[in-house]
Amino acid sequence: MTHLTIENVTKTYFLEGNKIDAVSNITLGINKGEFVSIVGHSGSGKTTLLSIIGGIARPTSGRVVFEGDDLYALDSDRLSGYRCEKIGFMFQFSSLLPVLTAKENILLSVLFKSNGGASDVHEEKAVELLKMVGLGDKINAYPSQLSGGQQRRVAIARAFMNDPELILADEPTGDLDEETEAEMMRFFKSMNAGKNITFIMVTHNSDLAMQTGRRLRMSNGAIAEL
Amino acid sequence: MNGKFTLISLASKNLKRKPLRTLILMIAISLLVSTLVFALSFVRRVDSSIKLTSERLGADILIVPAGSRGAAEDILLENKVKTFYMDKGIMEKVGQIEGITDVTYQTYLITIQGLCCSVPETMVVAFNQDTDFIIKPWLKGKVSGRLLKGEAIVGSESAFNIETGAIEVDSVLFGNVFKMVGVLDKTGTGLDTALFMDEANLDDIIKKGKSDMKPGQISIIFARVKAGIDPYKVAAKIEDSVIEVDAVARKDIGKNLINTLRDINRIFSISVLIASLLSIFLVWAIFSAVVNERLKEVGIMRAIGAKESHVLRLFLFEVIIIGSLGSIVGIVCGTAVSFFLAKGFSIMKNISTDLSVLQRVYISLTGFVGGTIICVIGALSPIQRIKKTEPLNVIKEV
Ligand SMILES: Nc1ncnc2c1ncn2[C@@H]1O[C@H](COP(=O)(O)OP(=O)(O)O)[C@@H](O)[C@H]1O
Ligand SMILES: [Mg+2]
Repeated sequence: MTHLTIENVTKTYFLEGNKIDAVSNITLGINKGEFVSIVGHSGSGKTTLLSIIGGIARPTSGRVVFEGDDLYALDSDRLSGYRCEKIGFMFQFSSLLPVLTAKENILLSVLFKSNGGASDVHEEKAVELLKMVGLGDKINAYPSQLSGGQQRRVAIARAFMNDPELILADEPTGDLDEETEAEMMRFFKSMNAGKNITFIMVTHNSDLAMQTGRRLRMSNGAIAEL
Repeated sequence: MNGKFTLISLASKNLKRKPLRTLILMIAISLLVSTLVFALSFVRRVDSSIKLTSERLGADILIVPAGSRGAAEDILLENKVKTFYMDKGIMEKVGQIEGITDVTYQTYLITIQGLCCSVPETMVVAFNQDTDFIIKPWLKGKVSGRLLKGEAIVGSESAFNIETGAIEVDSVLFGNVFKMVGVLDKTGTGLDTALFMDEANLDDIIKKGKSDMKPGQISIIFARVKAGIDPYKVAAKIEDSVIEVDAVARKDIGKNLINTLRDINRIFSISVLIASLLSIFLVWAIFSAVVNERLKEVGIMRAIGAKESHVLRLFLFEVIIIGSLGSIVGIVCGTAVSFFLAKGFSIMKNISTDLSVLQRVYISLTGFVGGTIICVIGALSPIQRIKKTEPLNVIKEV
């Protein structure tokens, strides 16, 4: 069953009078439980594509359909609901709130889901996720007290908090050492296999890409299977 | 971390990150609210004191020598010590006017300071026990039978009462010995600080030359009118037919004070309005800055699933925390100021009625709601703006 379909999606930016198709007429289908990697040069449109799939950047034309819903035809609240409950997004850039501890940053996504406070069960789960990414001793640390790589892992843990169906990971291991990177990859694969979570991962590391079931390459806004 | 993690915890953490800014906003709001609470307390207190006096005065019309109206009001409303006199014969003339059912009169004297003991200057009211309907209602069961010559009763806040701590104490007034035989119920009017005796005592006092009044003089006449008859019309008729007097209908008592109060009220209103506008502007300016600083964070929250309503709520919690804490501080300060500073206003110093608990609660609630709403109004447009933040663009602006 096609879980996610991207139909003729184009995203055009205008920069100083120049027209840039960051994503150019991409059509793609992704099945439930697939582990897809995307490689490509900087500026080739990977982040833009991921953002469009993640419901945070409206395409200039084309449709993104997730489990039968045309994302950009949804109203604002339902699109937020999609981002909150279906997607776990690991952004390319740092994305933690500085006033919150590691655990609270992870619990934040729960607030947008439940409308209430985070329960004890949620707290336990957040701690569990932090342990899974190797930060069991940093639960109450603030982002400023963490290294770049540790912050990155908090963001990774956060992506799993609401039991997403689809993980969008934008260079998730970019600032991790080799050993930690390998650990994270094992963690991703176990989540992919164990929970049947679909993964779309942008990476510059071709070794990592080789470990995935399906490999894509982007260049100049276009995409091709490898 | 203690307690559940909620949007409110995030809001309070956000406020703590810029403590000085939060404090400035809270101080601004508390200044505004304390001004509001002080103004309301002041105006309400004077206003209800006047209303109470006119309600509790058992007469529909009071009649005083022409030109003494202000002095009479000073006595009744502000516990001031004053005297004025007119001929007793005027009472018969008044009593004959159509529409009037009962009349009684009182004579005002002032104790002479330093004559004896440490008796401070006090109003002494001599009244006619046969016709009286002003004092009796406040004497319920307190004094058995008639007041005899040489006996006196005191108002509930009378200095005699307070100083001696006992009722049956002999006091020397105007060179005569008086026995204090009772205390009047609290009336909430100028009567509370006075001393009352039967008019039979007047002769002795005058004979001993201790007062500047002459025999056969009285100070004030109280009249009741027939049910259904307009006291204003009767008062006008009295002034027409008896030129030596001023007649004041009950509802007009304190009219001058009420007019003054209206002006004070206007000044307070303008001050509170200006303070409100300044506070709104301050909240707006600070929240505009806050919102710009936090665009990226809000973009992140939106990207991980926050709805517009979550963003709205988060920022509303922040302003409401500031507004409500600031208001509470303001209520405490405003109430304290109205307690202490009010004593410096002569209009307040002499007013006997204090605010009831209910009035204080009402004023505090007004202050609380007012302060909080002002805060919300100020922050509304920045919040509306940030609520619409789109997720991605801001995230890329690292
Ligand atoms: N907000 C924007 N405005 C203008 N151009 C943009 C914007 N975002 C991305 N682009 C352009 O779109 C292209 C693709 O960017 P991006 O998707 O970030 O690439 P990648 O993630 O593959 O490095 C780049 O040429 C970039 O300059
Ligand atoms: Mg990128």
